[in-house]
Amino acid sequence: DPFATAATDSGLSRSFSSSSSDLNSDSDELAEPIDEQEVYDLISTISDPEHPLSLGSLAVVNLPDIHIVPAAGSSASSRMRTVLVEITPTITHCSLATVIGLGVRVRLEQALPPRFRVDVRIKEGTHSTGDQVNKQLGDKERVAAALENGTLLGVLRKMLETCQ
Amino acid sequence: MAASPTAPPTSAGTLKLIAPLTPPSSTRTWLTVPHHSLPLVATATSDKTVRVYSLRSFTLHSTVSGGHKRSVRSCAWKPGTKGESVLATGSFDASAGIWRRWDMDMGMARERDLTGGVDEGDEEEDEGWRFSVILDGHESEIKSVAWSASGQFLATCSRDKSVWIWEEMEDDNFETIAVLQEHEADVKCVAWHPEEELLASSSYDDTIRLYREDIDDWTGIAVLSGHDSTVWSIDFEPAKPALSGDSQADASDRARWIEAREASGPRLVSGSDDRTLRIWRRRPKQKQPAPPTGQGRIPSIIRTHSIEEDWYEEARLPVAHERAIYSVAWSKRTGRIVSTGGDGRIVVYEERWSEPKGNEEKTDGLNPEGTEASDLPVARTTWSVVASIEMAHDVFEVNHVTFARRFDSGRTSDDEEIIISTGDDGQVKVWTVEI
Repeated sequence: DPFATAATDSGLSRSFSSSSSDLNSDSDELAEPIDEQEVYDLISTISDPEHPLSLGSLAVVNLPDIHIVPAAGSSASSRMRTVLVEITPTITHCSLATVIGLGVRVRLEQALPPRFRVDVRIKEGTHSTGDQVNKQLGDKERVAAALENGTLLGVLRKMLETCQ
Repeated sequence: MAASPTAPPTSAGTLKLIAPLTPPSSTRTWLTVPHHSLPLVATATSDKTVRVYSLRSFTLHSTVSGGHKRSVRSCAWKPGTKGESVLATGSFDASAGIWRRWDMDMGMARERDLTGGVDEGDEEEDEGWRFSVILDGHESEIKSVAWSASGQFLATCSRDKSVWIWEEMEDDNFETIAVLQEHEADVKCVAWHPEEELLASSSYDDTIRLYREDIDDWTGIAVLSGHDSTVWSIDFEPAKPALSGDSQADASDRARWIEAREASGPRLVSGSDDRTLRIWRRRPKQKQPAPPTGQGRIPSIIRTHSIEEDWYEEARLPVAHERAIYSVAWSKRTGRIVSTGGDGRIVVYEERWSEPKGNEEKTDGLNPEGTEASDLPVARTTWSVVASIEMAHDVFEVNHVTFARRFDSGRTSDDEEIIISTGDDGQVKVWTVEI
């Protein structure tokens, strides 16, 4: 898993891998399909960076806003899935929306098999700078670099501590 | 995401795997660049090293390590060197490094590869890389590094929104000769013109910018706008264009197209998060149309003598990707273009003479606003997908793709071309195009 290995130095990979290998074993197509509820269960327990509450209990992540669709294209890519998670920040100018979105993306990229592409977006109309946040969350290189940034890693680790 | 959804590219051709380079990295690999003369490639890796592989044996040749504290995001061989190879590296640790190695060491290793010796993990070889100098200055992650065609200049770019140009004054002494801060966000890629001292950069701000030296200062000379999202990758057309396909156009039309192409010089291709690939072309200055008569327009003397250049979007390639395009390359040998991205596809495109006049549907060339019809050559060209492959790195994203010369025993000619792809799975794969 590239994210785990990118974070080797920080110890994050260890704390992630122990908690996130649960679904990583579905290497064949016969495995039970992963559904929206399972994705919700993976991310609803993430802690809010500034409240002692989970993203699920704050309704930042909601089951109806999680969508799993097959990747378009030929049959060669039939195993590929795209997970779209739309998050609802608690306030429209929440400065931590990017960090929360990053936590959701990282959690899913760690926990889901690599045939899943993870798209995390701000639910439309729920944030004043939603487009900017979405662009950052969609930028693979920024996400990779963030995971090599000790300060940000500390915040993420704390958020994901409650995911077991 | 401006491009409309499309069916996957339909084409007769495919890419056939020759071999993966072994052993793969256990972590994400970002980019692989071929050496200008030796049968070697260098792979920038998220484990803070560069892995150098042989294109004869497809095995690991040496590792450049110990210099960077975070991912090596990009690397580039200095062109034209003889007797010694020079590698520039750019890292998420905000520094660039210069590394040297005597080619005699390269050659010896190569011979051993050929005789079938198993020399994997030979640590003596790794000592052949000498850390030469560190280039400090960027404030955050370096995303791309590129040498100018002459090797005189090295360009670096970063999330700090800047592009730096370094000049090697004498051995191991690099001077910053420009800090260009024209972009409004992360600069993702830098690329030099193949003949001129003209630098291009592409950015998270959705634009491409071009720079030249004016008297003593490097300065922006053009902004290429049009992409709807991050421009991940840019590459110039080779100095000598190569057009494929049977000519349906008559000889005089072709001659005019070639003349127009020579007047504008090599074009630029860009690949974006918006899933489009666009070709940009310079409008030759001497061909500025005369002002319309009777409207009192005065020709702009400042403009004529300005260093500024006018580039326009000449064409879009067929949309063949479902997710962000991370990498695009223009072949020096065949004139083909190859692209890859988050959907794991590798797609090869070819430019051909269009059908004779009257068959407009087959023309991908745009006639953007402000383009005088007289600027355009009579014979138009069309870009089509000639080969593609899905899931080139199994379920993983592909971060980079490039062309290289073939060196292994399977090659059929001296200048046979291969494609090299680099993925999130830590794999580097070597392909041939089968049409």
